[in-house]
Amino acid sequence: MIHEKGFFQRFINAVDLWLFTALVILVLIGVFAIYSASFNYGVSSKYITVQTAAFFLGLICMFVAAGLNYQYYKQFDKVIYIFSLVLLVSVLIFGVTVNGAKRWISFGPLSFQPVEITKLIYILVISSFLDKNWKNIRKPSALAYTFAILMGHFALIMMQPAFSSTLPYFLVTLVLLYVAGAEPFYLLCVSLFCGLTVGIPLFIEFLKLQEFVIYPVSQLGHFINSIQDNVMGIFYVAVIIIAVIFAVWWFLWKLKTKISIIYPILLGFAIMFGFTASMSVEKSLKDYQRKRMVVFLYPETDSRGAGYNVIQSKIAMGSGKISGKGFLKGTQTQLGFLPEQHTDFIFSVIGEEGGWLVSQTIILLYFIFIWRALVIAREARDRYGSLVAIGIAAMFAFYVVINISMVTGLMPVAGVPLLFLSYGGSSMVSSMIAVGILFSIHMRRYTYY
Amino acid sequence: MVWQKEDKYAYEIFLEKHKIILVFFALLFIFISVRLFYLQVIKGNHYRRVSDQQRMYNTHERAPRGIIYSDNGSMMVVNDFSYVALFYPFEQQETPSDETIEQLSVILKRDIKPSIDKSWRYGRVVKLADNLTMEEMFKIQEKKLVLSGISVVKEPKRVYSFSEQNSHVTGYTGEIRADEIERLSEYGYKMGDYVGRGGVEQQYDAYLQGTDGGWQLEVNAKGHQTKAFKYIPPEIGASVHLTVNQNLQNAAYDALKNSATGRGAVVVLDTKTGAVKALVSSPGFDTNSAGTKEFLRYLNDKKNLPLFNRALQALYPPGSIFKIITFVAATEVLNINPKEADYCTGSFELGNRWYTCWLKTGHGRVNLISATAQSCNIYFYDLGLKLGVRNLEKYARKFYIGERTGIDLPNEKKGFIPTPEWKKSLFKMSWLQGDTVILAIGQGALDVTPLQMAAMISAVANKGVYYRPYIVDNIVNIKGEEVYKHTVRTRDTIDLSDRTWDLLHRSLIETVDNGTGRRSQLPGIKVAGKTGTAQNPQKIDHAWFVTFAPADNPEIAIAVIVEHGGGGGLNAVPIAKKIYEAYFGIEPEEEDTAEKQKGKKQ
Repeated sequence: MIHEKGFFQRFINAVDLWLFTALVILVLIGVFAIYSASFNYGVSSKYITVQTAAFFLGLICMFVAAGLNYQYYKQFDKVIYIFSLVLLVSVLIFGVTVNGAKRWISFGPLSFQPVEITKLIYILVISSFLDKNWKNIRKPSALAYTFAILMGHFALIMMQPAFSSTLPYFLVTLVLLYVAGAEPFYLLCVSLFCGLTVGIPLFIEFLKLQEFVIYPVSQLGHFINSIQDNVMGIFYVAVIIIAVIFAVWWFLWKLKTKISIIYPILLGFAIMFGFTASMSVEKSLKDYQRKRMVVFLYPETDSRGAGYNVIQSKIAMGSGKISGKGFLKGTQTQLGFLPEQHTDFIFSVIGEEGGWLVSQTIILLYFIFIWRALVIAREARDRYGSLVAIGIAAMFAFYVVINISMVTGLMPVAGVPLLFLSYGGSSMVSSMIAVGILFSIHMRRYTYY
Repeated sequence: MVWQKEDKYAYEIFLEKHKIILVFFALLFIFISVRLFYLQVIKGNHYRRVSDQQRMYNTHERAPRGIIYSDNGSMMVVNDFSYVALFYPFEQQETPSDETIEQLSVILKRDIKPSIDKSWRYGRVVKLADNLTMEEMFKIQEKKLVLSGISVVKEPKRVYSFSEQNSHVTGYTGEIRADEIERLSEYGYKMGDYVGRGGVEQQYDAYLQGTDGGWQLEVNAKGHQTKAFKYIPPEIGASVHLTVNQNLQNAAYDALKNSATGRGAVVVLDTKTGAVKALVSSPGFDTNSAGTKEFLRYLNDKKNLPLFNRALQALYPPGSIFKIITFVAATEVLNINPKEADYCTGSFELGNRWYTCWLKTGHGRVNLISATAQSCNIYFYDLGLKLGVRNLEKYARKFYIGERTGIDLPNEKKGFIPTPEWKKSLFKMSWLQGDTVILAIGQGALDVTPLQMAAMISAVANKGVYYRPYIVDNIVNIKGEEVYKHTVRTRDTIDLSDRTWDLLHRSLIETVDNGTGRRSQLPGIKVAGKTGTAQNPQKIDHAWFVTFAPADNPEIAIAVIVEHGGGGGLNAVPIAKKIYEAYFGIEPEEEDTAEKQKGKKQ
């Protein structure tokens, strides 16, 4: 804790007004949207009370986090990492099962989602690791360590299971590795591996779904079927792609553009492993899960099942037109067509009742927020501060982009909340803490030691 | 500014990457902004429409069809209401539960199968059973708790008076068929609507259809009603006033039904306007049973074909009533002297064939008038030979044989006049004199409808003024405005010399006074007419009679045919007499059975 005189004075001077104003406006819009979303269920006052209380609790946490010197996190990185693991394990043991997933820990009337805290801790810990090892960062071993740290969280979260929560983890890790100076080619290989692992099963499912839409080029349909029937089929594809890569490399070599042989080899391994891993993912995913992942592309094929949420959300957004239907006047929201109104689909409520003007304003406010977070990263007094700030900025950016893509039908529907706007105490408090950490970095930009 | 205790160079590298990250995030945000713009600004109108569609639901209340009145204002069809069991789901389910269906089947003692079409969506009504009785309705109401989602609503239903007599005038109504919907949907018809079938119901369907009403509701995602916007009361269709007289209609139908075979048609026209005073095809059918199982009986009756409107759809050889045409042609073209006598031996040789008169012993000396009155074939064979086929065809066409009369009823047939060209093209044979001879007495390939014959005799009565027959006089909508009024139009004035008309009238009066049409004699009223006994490929002859009265100042013209009824004089003429009695208000005399037995086959 800081015990210096005039902390608040310093805080007020140091606080980033742009960021803080954007945040307050977002929370305010969120409160209105939650009120509207729960209006017809008669629970408006309860929800906005909880949301407002969470905001003020978050405000306190923000001050505390701002007061704490962020460098302590680096000092105690191992401790907080273990603490985060303990949290994630305890949710598996003591957690409350909701909809078949254990994501909540309850203390009497209060309950919270540990993953909201651990995602912050993860940023602090991974930044600390990257800061300490920045000289070795180009080595593959550093990459391996980083992913080992990630896997600790990843495995535990997948056991809840909460697949959607792990997506920002990956993306934040990639951004931080890039900024810390990791070899971009390695990152490419890793991305390729992950992309193939998840992408191939979904791509196959997507092609299958397409058969219902545009009846297939029979050649392609044949090919897909042969892949499904014959496991080896998929490896033929992999081998062909790798052969092409080597051919290109050889061709470039002949053209005197000399690239180390290690690159095509690594790429080949990434593809090979990606394909192999995708097979097990393909087997472990259940049919309905796969379908849910790709149905957003053709929601009409299952308009009352898997595609319902996307369809209704798009109708809600679109029907708001430019100026919206007015507060409490959105028919999609008020008549219950829109699912998960006050949580994941809060943006659709705003889009319907506030129209394009308000929803675009929200995107702008988020961008201001992220831009300021990046400014804080640039002005931080040390690499650790910069990394943490960038990690937090990336986390916010990805949450926003994923959520909005999801409700506008650009991504599969995954349970990713819209930070500051979606109803939920845990994410509100953790977001406020993240802002507090940003302020902590910002306040100390001129502090020398 | 640099990182403390760090290389300046490291910070500069960081700044580079920082910039790239900033640009990357900016691109991501632009990407979602573009999507937002597309959804809300470009596609906004589309999605607004979709959102309105899925929250609006219109309950449907069918409008009653317009009333059909006879000439004196009596109602030929009125609207009653029947009860219909509907399935109105209040949850997101497509079909009522099996138990509900089972329960309902038990109550109604019917086998109920809900039919769900593809376009079903939340809140849409499915019809389960119609024509419920009051008791059935109350039984359903009692078990409302068990029968979830079932509601009973009132639906207008047509009730026809004198349904059998008027069946071919009014027609009936039926639910639109799947094969019709495509064609009719552009006129605003939709699935589940009722349309007229046959008769005035079909011809004037657009006027008779009312404007459906109902509640415009807002429903939520579960299909529950959240609020009602407005109620539009259904509006009854326009009233159609016919020229048909119910008394004449009944008299004609009853007489026809009780005739030799009970099959045939009668058309009664007002000679001064062409208005249809009665139009009967027997056997008729009970229009009130339309849509029920009983109705199948009519559909399956292949012998009597009760749904077939013989008055304007059936084609018969005209037989001797065609002699009117031959008569007219002969007086005009050959300028026959009516006093000039010919001799009927009972047979006539042409080429190698013998053509006989219906009276085997022959009529002896006959002239134009007596030959017509006695319907002597030999005399007319001779006229036919002298005239030739071209003249016969020409005068037949003058009376619009082989053409539709253009009555405002559906599916009228044209009829047919055989010509040498037709025979050539169809049979590759040339027209023979024998063909001309039998054409002159209305046999051969000649085909006419009873309505055409009525229009012909009406034109004869008018001495050439041919009115287009019509059945609807005027139509008045719910506001009392006349939306349709028939204007009496002469189709043509058949230009013949007065001498021809006088001779023809004299001959036709003679037919009734002393000839084959004696059975239509009325006390105090002169009747003119011509009988016909049309031979046909199927067994017994058709009995024809065309007539008008009073002969000196004609008011009505009648065409009667009794299908396979035998001789016209014996079987068709008495029917016309009954109609005259009804029209002129004459007490029917006791039927003289003795004379009936004595009657000659015409």
